[in-house]
Amino acid sequence: MNWRTFALLSSLMLFLFFPSMVFAQVQTRVRIIEASNVGSTTDPALRDVHDQLGSLFNFSVYRLLKDVNLNLVGNRTVEVPVHKGRTMEVTLVGEYRTMVELRIKITREGSPILNTQVRLSSGRTILIGGPRHGGGVLIFAVSARF
Amino acid sequence: MKDSCSSLSGLLEKYHDQEVTDRERLLVEGHLSECSACRNLLSGMVELGNLLKIPVREAAEKEDFHWVWQKVKREIRERDRSTWRESLRSWLDVSPLLRKRVWVPALAATLVILSLIAVPVVMRENTSLVKLSPVEYVESQDYNVMIYEGEKGNVTVIWLFDGPDEEVPIS
Repeated sequence: MNWRTFALLSSLMLFLFFPSMVFAQVQTRVRIIEASNVGSTTDPALRDVHDQLGSLFNFSVYRLLKDVNLNLVGNRTVEVPVHKGRTMEVTLVGEYRTMVELRIKITREGSPILNTQVRLSSGRTILIGGPRHGGGVLIFAVSARF
Repeated sequence: MKDSCSSLSGLLEKYHDQEVTDRERLLVEGHLSECSACRNLLSGMVELGNLLKIPVREAAEKEDFHWVWQKVKREIRERDRSTWRESLRSWLDVSPLLRKRVWVPALAATLVILSLIAVPVVMRENTSLVKLSPVEYVESQDYNVMIYEGEKGNVTVIWLFDGPDEEVPIS
């Protein structure tokens, strides 16, 4: 096998397998919501998910604290500061034809309170909730578009 | 002028230009020793030749052949240097490879085998991932964790509880 044949076959192999190894950019939306039972107003910015939240949780008030759009690329962690020393770190760890794999880490004062890895198809939402915030709790709504 | 002169007139020019064979040279020289007309014709040719030689030599001496040669060399070099497109085309030229006909079925067989291997792997990966829960793993040192799937199947909830006595907020 001469060098030209070798180069051609290598290019062919790369062409066949390269797309599955490369990470494209994934747009991820993180909404940080405060949910409580103090009052009964709903943030107009959450109108699109209010019914969804209402069918899942028993809170009367949902207030949008932060709405962040992240452009994730492979294995690069993006940090989203939350309230009072809490931070959320999102990393794109895998990408398939119909879904992406995200590693999500939530820390409080530097120490991790949650480590999770989730698979998201385009348009699907993951809600992470529970940490106390004021009179209510925090809910992180994570969704991806690709 | 004799009859033999007309038959030798063509040879006389060749003789002057030193292009005759030995036999022709002997023939011409034999004739010239006997024929004054042809001798005069030859001497006329020599004179005319001399008249032309001198100005040609002078013109050649004046001409800068070094400069001309440099120009020619540059032209040759530029023709030899192929463009990057030509280089790429020659590099990508697979015709020598395809001339060896054994490569064509070998390449086709390789492609078929690769596609047979790759397609099921890709399909299996996607179908199995779809069936799996969207939460691959979850861990928390400070909280109890519950995973809840929405009824419509497009929302997954990871809920963190402070302690076992906390009331479940899910409706």
